[in-house]
Amino acid sequence: MATVHLSCPPPRAEIEKLAVGDLVYLTGEVIVTGGQPAHKRLIAHIEGGLPVPIDMSGVFIHLPHMIEERPDGDGYEIHYVNPTTSRRFDEYMPAIIRAFDLKIVGGKGGLGRDVVAAMRGTGCAYLSLLGGGSAILSQAIKKVLQVEWRDFPPHFRLTKLYVEELGPLTVGIDAHGNSIYEQIETTARARLPEIMARLAKRREAAEGTR
Amino acid sequence: MIDEALIQEVSEDLYSAALRRVPPDTVRALERARGREEQESARATLDLMLRSAAAAEANDKFVCSDSGVPTYLVEIGGSAQWQGDIKAAITRGFAHLVDTISPPLLKHVNNPLTNERGFAGKDMPSISVDLIGNADYIDITCIPKALGSGRWASIKTFISPSLEEIESCVMDAILEAGSQHCPPVVVGVGIGGNFDLTAKLANRATYREIGSINPEPMLAAMEERLAEAANATGFGPMGVGGSTTVLAVHIDYAFGHGYTPVAVCFNCWINRRAKARLHSDGRIERIF
Repeated sequence: MATVHLSCPPPRAEIEKLAVGDLVYLTGEVIVTGGQPAHKRLIAHIEGGLPVPIDMSGVFIHLPHMIEERPDGDGYEIHYVNPTTSRRFDEYMPAIIRAFDLKIVGGKGGLGRDVVAAMRGTGCAYLSLLGGGSAILSQAIKKVLQVEWRDFPPHFRLTKLYVEELGPLTVGIDAHGNSIYEQIETTARARLPEIMARLAKRREAAEGTR
Repeated sequence: MIDEALIQEVSEDLYSAALRRVPPDTVRALERARGREEQESARATLDLMLRSAAAAEANDKFVCSDSGVPTYLVEIGGSAQWQGDIKAAITRGFAHLVDTISPPLLKHVNNPLTNERGFAGKDMPSISVDLIGNADYIDITCIPKALGSGRWASIKTFISPSLEEIESCVMDAILEAGSQHCPPVVVGVGIGGNFDLTAKLANRATYREIGSINPEPMLAAMEERLAEAANATGFGPMGVGGSTTVLAVHIDYAFGHGYTPVAVCFNCWINRRAKARLHSDGRIERIF
């Protein structure tokens, strides 16, 4: 379990070295959004061959955020950020990863098998952020660089942030197609007969004493 | 006398407080889990959770960005002196919270038919009412339940199931949720009753204090073995591996009629909930 400090966008060689379970801190520019509407619009832009108003290459994180323009127009108030469930976006992610040649994606809970295949194609790793880590993660957001699609509520907008030492983030899927989520689920299902047998034994013992 | 103004104030305060800290029983459970956890990376995640909880409380920040929807349990004692429209008071409390809270909330409420987003919705807030004997107070619990763990709740109906079938149903729900519900979670299980009661039993079981012993010996034993079984799956904190997938399994049951619904639901590791007692003389007592 290595601890790695990466600048964004990280060089391909650095991403290829990441292994599941490693801890990562990110510094640099990251693109974030939180919801279905932004993903649907990204897909519409990809399919329609339309330009997206933010340079999407690099790091893309499922990170709902409460960031508001200051009433005096002088920049933004960064209230808080926190990751959301990435698997909600499984159906959109392969096309997004391929279209923008993404190198790092993130959120919480991992991504499905088809997305992992797309990630292997572009050499992309997935980083797990702590759900409920808002008070820590928000401190790493240093600057708001660009906010697009303002017709959406703040958490669904497409936003470019400058972050310093965002982390610790856990490598959940590496760039070679190894997914800790898939490994853990396979192991859990394989263990189930043994777990059920132990439950039965303990149940019989408990019922026997009644 | 407990009046609308008092109920509005308390329900608003409970919501705001619930968003800014991890309840004490849950912090203690995370600390105990940290001591037991076998995997180094999982211990690091549990440490981060404890740091996040402390940072939110110390800096008066939200623990999570998803403030959920306003969900309340109102327990009314038969001798409580109260007057007014409880639902309207809680609704106003939430509306006032939306207007004044710092930092501001995100629009998490949607119309399921149109997907339109906002802060208010039909039949909101979600209020569950219970009558609690002859007590001279009203208890209000606020449980801001969000998407991350809320979406994995399930209910399945059996005909006269064995304990083995019930426990297998719980394990299926735990495997289905897998890494997704921000573990380690509190698992709530409801057995029996009718459809709505079963779900209510499961939900309320998650509110119970972690570490409290189930008064029903059969269920106390079931809780212990199911918690051990859930932690043997290996999903771990945030679902990236470890021996801490649940902080507790809490089970309740009610009458049956041959057909037995079994409901399973989850509360994520921050286990947000806050409770206050409104005494008939107007005193407010924070329970947790």
